[in-house]
Amino acid sequence: MAEPFKNTPPAAEAKGEMTAANIAAALAGESQASQKYLAFADVADAEGYPNVARLFRAVAYAESTHARNHLSVLGGIGTTTENLKAAWGGETFEITEMYPAYDAVAKLQENKSAQTSIRYALTAEKDHQGIYDSTLKGVEGKSDLAADAVRVCPVCGHTVIGDAPDECPVCGTAGSYFKEF
Amino acid sequence: MDEALEKRLPKPEELNPMTKESLAAAFAGESQAAEKYMVFAEQAEEEGYPHVAKLFRAISFAETRHARNHFRVMGGIGSTADNLAAAFGGESFEVDEMYPAYHEIAKLQENHQAVRSINYALKSEVDHKGMYTAAREQVLAGKDIADQPVNVCLACGHTIIGDAPDKCPYCGATAELYRTF
Repeated sequence: MAEPFKNTPPAAEAKGEMTAANIAAALAGESQASQKYLAFADVADAEGYPNVARLFRAVAYAESTHARNHLSVLGGIGTTTENLKAAWGGETFEITEMYPAYDAVAKLQENKSAQTSIRYALTAEKDHQGIYDSTLKGVEGKSDLAADAVRVCPVCGHTVIGDAPDECPVCGTAGSYFKEF
Repeated sequence: MDEALEKRLPKPEELNPMTKESLAAAFAGESQAAEKYMVFAEQAEEEGYPHVAKLFRAISFAETRHARNHFRVMGGIGSTADNLAAAFGGESFEVDEMYPAYHEIAKLQENHQAVRSINYALKSEVDHKGMYTAAREQVLAGKDIADQPVNVCLACGHTIIGDAPDKCPYCGATAELYRTF
């Protein structure tokens, strides 16, 4: 974040173990609140409450600023090289450990929607792992990514660099719905 | 939401307790990944990697899709009146229980940056609680809230309905550092 004034943001510090655990829990709470409010904003729009939708989006942003501050105190913001390594590590954990374990339990318990939600995520995390890996190699050699657009399926999160496919290979959503970055 | 998208989303279902736990943990993980990647995008901009920044923003959006899907399967998305009640409940817990406890421990452990990050969040959550209460009263009467901008301080998350103040009352940021919704 650009330093807009001298009083920002809370910085990394050596912490007591309890405080470190608490700030980590607060980061989890703020992050989830932000995501919930964004989902609630879509519902408010659909029900014809555009100003309530705006309130939810604004408060979601406020929660994001809290999440960022907590992450900063935890020392979780590094250089781009370090951040790409951390991102790659998170995706790798989800692919190799977390989602396969959750998928096995959801299958055992025959919770079908849960399996779909897990499969959508697991498949996209594999895209992300590969993209982070090649991006890290570029940044280690001081080169930015190529200027291509990045496109994301709004249903399942499938992520491609370049053009959207005609149809999402994971969930079947038409490519025209992909969000372009 | 568009019907073509809606029909492909995983639906709410009766979940077994273990699968419910899995999805709740996955929701927490995806939410935090989405927040981290937005912060990493700002860092990449600062280091002169605009396309890496764009990649982080795109993948952050993909994670928000996973978070939304998991939350939906867990039955977390209700009507706007219900969502406002849930949002109020979450803010109340943070205001009455979580942040005061974390604050005491961080003070005891003399972790000054953690105290700041907690104070910024706690103060804004009090604002949010009040806004959600007022909005819920309107929605229960079938009315939207007034059509006014909502301004959020990008440093501390201070949230205000109407114009931004000259100076943030919580952290001292100037009015141009507010984001308007």
